[in-house]
Order: sequence, then C-alpha cells, then structure tokens
Amino acid sequence: MASFEQLKQTFFDECAEGMQQIEQGLSDMREGLGSDDTINAVFRAVHSVKGGAGIFGFEALVGFAHVFETTLDAVRRGDLQATTDVVDVLLASSDVLSDLVQISRAGDTIPSGFGDETRKALERLLGEDSSGEEEAPADFEGLDFVPVRADGADSDEMVDFAGIDFTPVKADAFSAGPRSFEIAIRPGADMLRNGSDPLLLIRQLRQLGELELTANAERLPDLTSLRPEIAYLSWTGTLRTEATREQLQDIFDFVGDCEITINEIGGGTDIAEPVQPGTAASALPVVDAAPPVAPIAVTPPPAATPAAAAPQPKPAAPQAPAVEAPGERAAPARPAKPQATTTRIELEKIDRVVNMVGELVIAQAMLGQIVHDLPEGVSDRLSQILDEVVHHTRELKDGLMSMRAQAVGTVFQRMPRLVRETAAKVGKKIRLELAGETTEVDRSIIERLTDPLTHIIRNSVDHGIEAPDVRLAAGKSEEGTIRLSAEHRGGRIVIEVSDDGGGINTEKVLQKAREKGLVSMDAVLTEDEINNLIMMPGFSTADVISDISGRGVGMDVVKTNIQEIGGRLSLQSVRGKGTTIQFALPLTLAVMDGMVIKVGRETYVMPMSMIVECLRPPRSSINNLVGTRGMLQLRGDLVPLVYLGDLLHIGSSADLSGECVVIITDAGDGTRLGLVADELCGHQQVVVKSIEESYGPVPGVAAATILGNGSVALILDVEKLSDLAGDSSSAINAQKSNSFAKVA
Amino acid sequence: MPNAVALKVLVVDDQESVRKMTAMTLEQIGIRHIHEAENGKKAMEIAGLQPIDLIISDYYMDEMDGLDLLRAVRGHPVVRRVPFILLTGRGDRELVVKAAQAGVNNYLIKPFTVQVLRQKIEQVMGKLS
Repeated sequence: MASFEQLKQTFFDECAEGMQQIEQGLSDMREGLGSDDTINAVFRAVHSVKGGAGIFGFEALVGFAHVFETTLDAVRRGDLQATTDVVDVLLASSDVLSDLVQISRAGDTIPSGFGDETRKALERLLGEDSSGEEEAPADFEGLDFVPVRADGADSDEMVDFAGIDFTPVKADAFSAGPRSFEIAIRPGADMLRNGSDPLLLIRQLRQLGELELTANAERLPDLTSLRPEIAYLSWTGTLRTEATREQLQDIFDFVGDCEITINEIGGGTDIAEPVQPGTAASALPVVDAAPPVAPIAVTPPPAATPAAAAPQPKPAAPQAPAVEAPGERAAPARPAKPQATTTRIELEKIDRVVNMVGELVIAQAMLGQIVHDLPEGVSDRLSQILDEVVHHTRELKDGLMSMRAQAVGTVFQRMPRLVRETAAKVGKKIRLELAGETTEVDRSIIERLTDPLTHIIRNSVDHGIEAPDVRLAAGKSEEGTIRLSAEHRGGRIVIEVSDDGGGINTEKVLQKAREKGLVSMDAVLTEDEINNLIMMPGFSTADVISDISGRGVGMDVVKTNIQEIGGRLSLQSVRGKGTTIQFALPLTLAVMDGMVIKVGRETYVMPMSMIVECLRPPRSSINNLVGTRGMLQLRGDLVPLVYLGDLLHIGSSADLSGECVVIITDAGDGTRLGLVADELCGHQQVVVKSIEESYGPVPGVAAATILGNGSVALILDVEKLSDLAGDSSSAINAQKSNSFAKVA
Repeated sequence: MPNAVALKVLVVDDQESVRKMTAMTLEQIGIRHIHEAENGKKAMEIAGLQPIDLIISDYYMDEMDGLDLLRAVRGHPVVRRVPFILLTGRGDRELVVKAAQAGVNNYLIKPFTVQVLRQKIEQVMGKLS
C-alpha cells in the first residue's frame, strides 16, 4: 500500500491533469465552443481538486475550490449565464487555483489574502447567498432528512441515518397488490431547474409495483421553441401496489414545484400537493384534463419484478431530452476518449537507463572498432552478430527516448493564460490558437522551451499585435490572433509562432540599429536582414520599455536559448500582415548529430546544427585585413576566420597556406564565422555526456562524448567560441558591424 | 457483529489518490479485503465476480456515476442488498436526497476521519469486532 506522501504526489499529478482540463474547457467556452459536456467536465475537475485537497488537508485550496465549484455549478445549471465576463472570472479563478496547487505542492505557505480578489469576483457572480454552504457542512445532515426519518429523533447529527433502512421499498418486496392508485404528476415549469426530475419519481413508483402511465405532451412546444430546462410533460396513470399511501407520499416528499395527485381507487381521498418553490413562479400553466397522447409502459428492472407489466411499444420519445437533459444526469463524463493505460515512473529511473544505454552504445562502438581490425576470416561471423546487436541497441534507444518524450502541450497549455494576462495589461484583444499540442519531444527539450516561447509570445502580444483601434483603422478585425503550432518535420520538431499584427517596422529597426552602432550608417540592408537585427544583442525596439517584454531580455537571449538546445531561429515579417518566428529543435538532447574534427592532435565534435558548410578555400579567397587574422571571401560576403588551435590553445599546424578546412558556422543572425581546423573526420551521432557536474562550465565546451575508439572528445560550444574569439581579438566586433556590408 | 477482518469492501472512485486514501483509512479500521474500482461500470464488474459486503462509492465518475451505480446495484439480482455508502462533498444536499430516494444506506462527507468512517460503516453494518 502506498504511503501518504506518495498518495499526495498522486493527488498533485491528478491536479495537474485536472488543471489542464479546466484551462482547456474554459478556453473553449471563451471561444464559444463550449457545450454542456465542457462545463460539466470543468465542474468535475474542480470538484476532484477540492475533494482531494480536503483529504490531504490543503484547507486554503478547499476554500477557494469550493467557491469556484459553486459558481461552476450555477453555470451548468443555467442559473448563471456563461457570458464572456463570467468566463473571464472563471479563467482568472482557474489561474488562482492553479497557483494554489503549485504553492501547496511546493509545500509553501499560502500568503494570506491570496486570490481574495478573484474569490470576491466569484462571490459577486453568485449573489449574496453564495458561500454560506461551506461554513455549514452539517446543513443537510440534520434538517433535510427529517421527513425520511422513521423515528422522531432529530438532534444527533451523527446518527441521523442510524437504524433507518434507506431501502424501505426493495424492488422484490412487492407483487402487484390489492391496492390501486390513480396518480397524476404535473411538473411545474421550474421543476427541472430545481434539480428534481420526474423520471426519478417514475422510477421510484415503478419499484413499488405495477405502474402504467400515460404521458401528456400537449404543453410540448415546437422543437424550435423547446427549452430543455423546462418540464413540459405531465403524466397520469395507475399504480397497483401493496405499498401504503404514506409510502407513496414519501417518494414525493422532496420534490420541488410539481403537482402530485394520488387517489386510491375504491376508497381514500385525493391528496393534492402543489409543491411550490421558494423562488420562481410557474412560467407555464398546468393544463388539466389533457387527453392522453402516448401510453408509456414503464418496464421494471428485469431482474427485480419479472412478473410485472409486459413491455409495450415505447413512445417515440420527444420527452426524453426534456426530462433527462438538465436534471439528474448532471455530470456526464468528460468526452469519452480511449485512454491508454499508463504507469508513473520517476524520471530519475528513466534517466539512469538512458545513461546505461549511452554506455552500451559506446561499448558497442568500441567493440565494432576491434572487430573491424580483426583479420577478415575471423571477423565475418562476429560482425554479423554485432550488426544485430547494433540494431537492437538502436531500437532500445528509440524506445527509451519515446518514454522520455512528452507532448509539447504541457508547455503550450501555459500560454493561453500568458496571452490573456498580457493582453489585458496592454488593453488588446487577442486570441491564441494552438495546434499540434500532442507533438512529442524529449523532456529535456520541453523544460527549456518554456522561457523562449514565453518571451516570443509576450513580444507578439506587446509589439506584434496592434491596439484594437489601430487594427480597425487598418481594416483588420479588432481581435488579433496569435498561432502557436508544433509539428514533426524531418526528424526534428518545428515550432512556429505567428501573429497577424503589424509586422516589424523596418525603418524604426534600422534607425535604432544605427543609433546603437550595430550597423554602419551607410550600409544597405535587405528587409530580411533588417528584421534579423532584432535578434542582435542589446537591441530593443519598444519606444518605452514596458514591463511586459522589455525586461532587458531581448530576442538575442531567446535566440541563444534556442541555440543551446540545438535549434535555429528564423523570422519572417511582412509589414502590416504579421510576423512569424520559427525554430526547429532536435527531438532529444541526449544524442546529437555532430561533425568530428581534428585540431592539432585533438579530436573535437561540433554540433551539425551550427554548421553552414565546410570547405577548403583556395588561398586566393583569403583577404588579409588589418586587425584580423584573415577574412574569407565567400560568395560576396566577407567571413572572419578564427583559428581553433589559437582559441583552444593547442598547437596546430593548420595554416591557410597548407592543408586546412574552414567550417562556416552561423549564429543565426547572419553573423558567420569561419573556424579553421586541421581535418574533418566525418559526421556521426554522438551520445552527449555532461561534464559540468565534474568540471563546472568550461568556456567553449558544451559537453563531452566518447567516440568509437574509446577516446573522449569534447563537444564544442560554437556560440561561446565566437564570444571567446571576440574577446581575444577585435575581429569579431569589427565583423559584426561590417557583416552587412556587401562586398562586390 | 461483523468481523472487520472478514469484511469485503468495494471502494469506487475515479480519483486514484482519494480512492487509495479511502482504502488506507479502511485498513486502519482493520478491514483487509478491499477491492478498488475507478468507475461504476468497473465496480459492477467486480461486484458480479467477487463477494462484496459493502460498497463505498464516490458520485462523480466516468462511465456510470455513483448514483447510477447505486441504481444498478439495487436492480441487480445478486448484489441488490449490499449496503451502499455514498461519498459526497459538503453541501451536496440534492445529491444526498436523490441517493436516499434511490436506496442509499448512508453517506459520507469528504474529507472524513477514521472515526467517522467507522461510525458510518457501523451504522450500516452493525458494530464491528
């Protein structure tokens, strides 16, 4: 049996799932896509959070969830219209609830007054008599059960049900008895709204004996004007039973707004019980003496009274929706979707296996090397088996990676709230569309996706989408749209954020860039080049630094973040039409595509994602400019050269006069570097091993890997290398301001 | 006087954490035979296969909620007499009324203590030994 702490974790996991459902449901409602199922699913999720929170002792969570739940209940019952304003309050509540869950999970104390404002907003929606229920948990333990009691005891709440058989009318207790009653059930207009359901009454009656009812559908309006929350049907019929009149009456004791007549055939008097609700007046007149329309034979449960009435043809039941819809079946399930059986595993355990598979891959590569070196006759059979092992290891690795994979939805789900809050702050109307939330990617990527995405979306809200009046003036709809999507493409995951805002103001960007000395005054840039300027360090176009996107963190940081996880950012912008930012990421960080290179006698690995091309330039294409170690003339651009041997302090023979290779890297903003190395050894998949734990951050080195021959190779951090190069000489800085200067 | 150790209880709740907590609380009373089901449908399957002395069920569930389960139990030829305790939230008055009409034996407001759970069970089953 699990421990209390483990169950608490389970509870928080359930909360996380519940919060997603709540968020999704409310967002749908906001979009006008909500149905009864939606609100019911949201209600149930909040109810579950509240229930669990109570059991695990999170009182603040229970308190807030209760008011939230009560409001949702009012909405699903139709007492409260789900207008945009109401849904906004519900969304805010969902945010507060989510925060409360987070705080509780972290084990922190909840600041006093947290979420009070939202709570008050909920209470305002509910009106005065709202949250009284919570303080009186015993409210129905005493009072409301009085009528059901067999004896007169009424004060001891704990024993209120003691000794009472709540199944006084067992299904098999009666055969068609000597008594017959004429029964008329005429629901008032508000019966269903009050939570009573005539169908239940009929079922109850049916349990007492042989029941034959006739439905009167005269009050039923045209389908177009039919309102499902109003009870239109009424019933008359007879019940043959051994039950007493009192037992019959008991059934109707709790029914609100329904006129019941019980008349014993052959003796007894009429009982008329018009039960009026405290609040609403009947909207529909009760029609008396209505001609029968369709007879209903209510079939008893098959096993209970097999002797009872033979089934008769059922009426084509227009009353079914009217009776069933709003009342009893209050909470249908979430939209039924096939659910895969899952088991929760600690990530640490999976990571350990990932590591072991990494070791296995390395050991296997070493074995491969040895087998390769064996004389041919000996190695044949061995290499055959080795091939099989390689195959299985790959499958093992893929299977493991899919275990670590998570849907990007977990990150995407946080964005609607971000857009909502940010848009409200800047007074814009923005709709966020999500696509491809189920696209899976490794957990390590997911974790590092939130920050850049948050920043990009904040930017879109703050700078991208125009104010409503500007949009209207431009002939656009008042509401802006941001679209966030993910998809698998060519072994990578492509994430795209696009908005239909004003696009990048190229004149403004160019002016800013010139002011800041990022571009020389006379440089002529293409539109794309200007757009990419916003990703240069230290660039911010906002006239006033707002508290939303101008936190001193610019797109350059986003770019760096994306690059750190092996991604590359691209940006397209059309003036007046909008901006699209796209980046492709590897599916995992544990295995990487790398280029193995030699610098002097050392072997290094360079991430393929950073490499534009590798070439052996002819001597004639190198320009020696003052203050640089050479510029490579490449298709009209000048690319500064950096000697890896110098940078890494390794004696290297690589010299442009002799044999050498130049690896052109691109930091994504057009800043290109030519890294000079001795030799290219080839392209291969490498298992990434972090060295930070043992050595701390090493400048210019991202991680390490073990190659097939068993030797360790460092994986170069190209981004940091360019910084290093910038520090060691002024070449990079000079290059940055000149990078857009075209050479004829 | 039913013996707690011999009592076979079916706990029905779609929230795993709550279901397990209920089961844990039952263990503290000394109940050893605990079956679990995550919805009414599963509960009926189990009830059809196993001897069950008591059902403790939540209301909100996929695939047959607590009230539908109660009705299904009461309409079942074999298990219709099995005592049924419904788990409810605070202030769920209408639900309790409906459950009473449908033949529930007792209700239990979440969250509950070991003492209250024992009390409710004893009200239904008689004093436990």
